[in-house]
Amino acid sequence: MENVYQTQKARIVSINRESLDTMLFRFKFVDKKLQRNFAYLSGQFMQIGLASWGECPISICSSPSDGKEFFELAIRDVGPLTHKLNSLGVGDVADVRGPYGNGFDVDKFIDKPLVIIGGGCGFVPLRPLIIDYVNGRIKNNKLQIFYGCLNEQTLLFKKEHPLWNRNSEFVISLEKPSDKWKGEKGLITASIIKRDIDPKSVVVIVGPPVMYKFVIAELLKKKIKPENIYVSLERKMYCGKGVCQHCAIGPYYVCKDGPVFCWKNIKDIPGAL
Amino acid sequence: MNDKKLKTFLAGVFDDFKVFAPAKNDGKLVVGEVAKAEEIDWSGQMPVNPWKKVFLPSEERLFSANGDKLVENKNIYPKVVALGVNVLDLRAFTLLERVFADDVYYQKRRRNTVVVGYSPDWPIDYKKYKVFSHNFENEILEHLLFDVFIAKLKNNNFAFYSGSIEGQKLLEKYNISDYKNIEYIGSTPKTSVDRKMLQLQEKVAKSADKRIWNELAKICLACGKCSIVCPTCFCFDLEDKVDPENPGRIRKWGNCFYNDFSRVAGGYKPLDDVKQKIYFWYVHKFVRIPREYKMPGCVSCGRCSKVCPVGINIGKVIQNISKIK
Ligand code: SF4
Ligand code: SF4
Repeated sequence: MENVYQTQKARIVSINRESLDTMLFRFKFVDKKLQRNFAYLSGQFMQIGLASWGECPISICSSPSDGKEFFELAIRDVGPLTHKLNSLGVGDVADVRGPYGNGFDVDKFIDKPLVIIGGGCGFVPLRPLIIDYVNGRIKNNKLQIFYGCLNEQTLLFKKEHPLWNRNSEFVISLEKPSDKWKGEKGLITASIIKRDIDPKSVVVIVGPPVMYKFVIAELLKKKIKPENIYVSLERKMYCGKGVCQHCAIGPYYVCKDGPVFCWKNIKDIPGAL
Repeated sequence: MNDKKLKTFLAGVFDDFKVFAPAKNDGKLVVGEVAKAEEIDWSGQMPVNPWKKVFLPSEERLFSANGDKLVENKNIYPKVVALGVNVLDLRAFTLLERVFADDVYYQKRRRNTVVVGYSPDWPIDYKKYKVFSHNFENEILEHLLFDVFIAKLKNNNFAFYSGSIEGQKLLEKYNISDYKNIEYIGSTPKTSVDRKMLQLQEKVAKSADKRIWNELAKICLACGKCSIVCPTCFCFDLEDKVDPENPGRIRKWGNCFYNDFSRVAGGYKPLDDVKQKIYFWYVHKFVRIPREYKMPGCVSCGRCSKVCPVGINIGKVIQNISKIK
């Protein structure tokens, strides 16, 4: 019987400092065969840890089409484990297991305009969708990206923004930008209100809990259908397979039935958002 | 307990296994290790503590850290018998078997554990329990997992049943040949649904904004004692031991009433008041478990009500919830 808690070694092959507190790591499994057979979906996550430091769930932020070569995790320093992980260097190894969760059902996005709304570090699981759109792997006729962040220092994936900008309507709104900032200021909701969004759009939102309520209210005003709104939730997790109970919301588990949920299915669950 | 068959069975079991059974301790009925058959209590009453420790220790080591390598811990699993498990507790055990079906640690321990159910006045025994959380079927044994079941009949004879190959082997080994094989046909009947369970599932799922939870939250201390004694509370934490002598990853019982249960690194805490916690507990029992395992998540053992320092009685709570329109 397979041990579902057994981790595998993955080696860091490159690192990019994304922001003050977040590093982007590219990992390859030490076992080459594992890497060759590795497959995941946008929106799925890995459990990553270090012996003696525990484990935590981190969304995969590379494109599924790169899975046979590597996978990327953007790790934000928010506690002892993530602090330790962020101190690792190229060549170091970490313990991972996964992928877990359901991921985005991109087949349902086909032929609909795609709107991606991310807040703060919630932007991480959205990156694979954007990469795949830019590379023509998900066929939508239009992409709008709304990215709300505190300031320039906390923006993620900055290197890729020019490319994203060429391929989509890309709006960044900063709450507390420096004086040099030329873009939009304030909450992302304000930027959304100002713009036309096709009512047929599929909208994917990931961000801090407070963001959902306001953003979704605006989307509904713009006649987006509840069944076309998707969110990805963050919860405490240990097992990753719907047993330990820490990530439960109403009848569901974020680790197994999520982390991606259609908003329609969870909107009446108290405390879900 | 002078029955000859039972005597041979007990003699055999005490020779071959570490025996866990209900026994009187300071006037309380407690499940624990017993040294001899005379200590066992055969009243069939509900022990104060659940059996879950026998199957899921409150703390167990999953991995040892060897440098930066996590190596599956080779735990030693002694041969154990859980002797005298009543029908409600068997129902809880049946749930654990389902929940931990692909858990290598649970399964290794289970392989060395024999589960012997018992009823002191078969077949009416289970009807005496105040069961509020589900319906009991007439063919109760067919819906329970066990290795051996011993039933005391009206005429004071004992009937033996086997529920598994291991159970059969054991009975044969102890020279008991007139036993009946019971085939497990699922935890709930296939032909008729457990209406009571389904009704409660819907009621609890839809009651989130009802007053009852505010009222309970006013008195509940979030002490978590109900969860510790509940035979179907199986949630857990994983934790890394920083112990330099013996580092590793352990699993230990979790408790959804404790403050850190839902807190993520960075501070966000979805369950951050008593109302949310107590509702979460009920949703697990009455909504999530029925949805996932098609069986009740509360077996109506009443342990949580007995241990609650502020007198919250789950039977009454469920009664009130059923009345909500
Ligand atoms: S035992 Fe009673 S007071 Fe303690 S958490 Fe449970 S319901 Fe609340
Ligand atoms: S009565 Fe209480 S302790 Fe017993 S199974 Fe139900 S919830 Fe658990």
